[in-house]
Amino acid sequence: MYQTKKTYIKPEMKMSGLFFENPYLLLMMEHFNLDFMVYNKTVEKVCIENSINTNIFIDIANLYNGFNELDAAKYSRSDISTIINFLKSSHDYYKDEKYPEIQQLIKKISSVNETKEIKLIGKFFDEYFNEVLEHLDYEDKVAFPYFMDMLNDNVDANGKKDYSAKVYSDHHTDIESKLMELKNLLLRHIPIEKDRSMRRKLIISLFELDYDLNIHYAIEESALIPLIVKTEKAPVK
Amino acid sequence: MTECNIYIAVIEHSHIIYEGLTNILLKSDHHFHIYRFNGIQELTDFKDKEKLHVVMINPSYVVSNKKNFNAVKKSLPNTYWVGILYSYFDKNTIELFDDTVEITENPEKIKETICRVSTDDCICREANKTEELSSREKDVLIELINGLSNKEIADKLFISTHTVASHRKKITRKTGIKSLSGLTIYAITQKIISIE
Repeated sequence: MYQTKKTYIKPEMKMSGLFFENPYLLLMMEHFNLDFMVYNKTVEKVCIENSINTNIFIDIANLYNGFNELDAAKYSRSDISTIINFLKSSHDYYKDEKYPEIQQLIKKISSVNETKEIKLIGKFFDEYFNEVLEHLDYEDKVAFPYFMDMLNDNVDANGKKDYSAKVYSDHHTDIESKLMELKNLLLRHIPIEKDRSMRRKLIISLFELDYDLNIHYAIEESALIPLIVKTEKAPVK
Repeated sequence: MTECNIYIAVIEHSHIIYEGLTNILLKSDHHFHIYRFNGIQELTDFKDKEKLHVVMINPSYVVSNKKNFNAVKKSLPNTYWVGILYSYFDKNTIELFDDTVEITENPEKIKETICRVSTDDCICREANKTEELSSREKDVLIELINGLSNKEIADKLFISTHTVASHRKKITRKTGIKSLSGLTIYAITQKIISIE
């Protein structure tokens, strides 16, 4: 539970006004595969034009503004694919943009600092990055296809055995705790003398990643998984 | 530091005061669960009331209702009662509480009061005390990095596995690091071990 001074988003608000207040909503638009040039449109209009359930869109936008209002009861089976597409494009952002960006920054810092600590941080990060890739891969290749098959009523008896909600949530805890360790090491324990601006960029980048990952997990655990469970219990004939 | 959970009830009619208090508390390092009640009766009806570490209450709820208040207080021996003061109350009323906060106080002091009266084993309190590892914790850390299991460490240092586990927890609380690779980096930086 945390509080923010940001606006609580409602359907009739102007989308662009919200961007001025919280530019990270641009990232959310990207995850929804939407362009952020929405001119004068309200939140609701953006949703209707793009056939996205307004409830989901607003709940996710509010997560970005610090309010967790996710409630699977408000969404339906037909929203599962919207959610999965959102999560998939966040995966691309982590894999292709954010993690490589962090990796590059560590390399650059390493190249001007000949200390063993920063080399170890580099190694720590690479190992961590591999774990993350493994998890994302698991979701992209096992969990999400299973969910989509289920939606299309294509699940055979063996389909389920690879997927488990517990595995899901264990992975998350792990990814989160390593990120926390990195922040602790860099902010509290390891002295790095040179290139202050590069270090600042690195730490801010870690926080940005953490921010988006937290939202990502919240969506998976409080929206996607409950929806899946609901759908599993009551398959549509 | 997510392990500590402090349950707080706030009994206060002013919405502004309630919002302000929760805002201050939620900004601290603790993980607070805050409930709001409209009067002592609602608190009595609350099924998880034994869980509450702290009840913050406006004394005006108590003044006309002292008997009832004392009964509830007695039924919850592990709960601390903190009066929320923003007007004058006589000494006899004030003495009914374990502690008080004045709303004109600065947020830090209010946080401090709540932390002080919350449970003793709260992790956040420990984290505030010191970040430096004790020499025993360093011993355990070194053996951990050497790849020993809790049992092996216990045998080597002549302590119980329970104590080893408790040292490990404290190491993680103090450093914010849990994984072995992270702890190794920490130990090298702090010159607890060397890799030459």
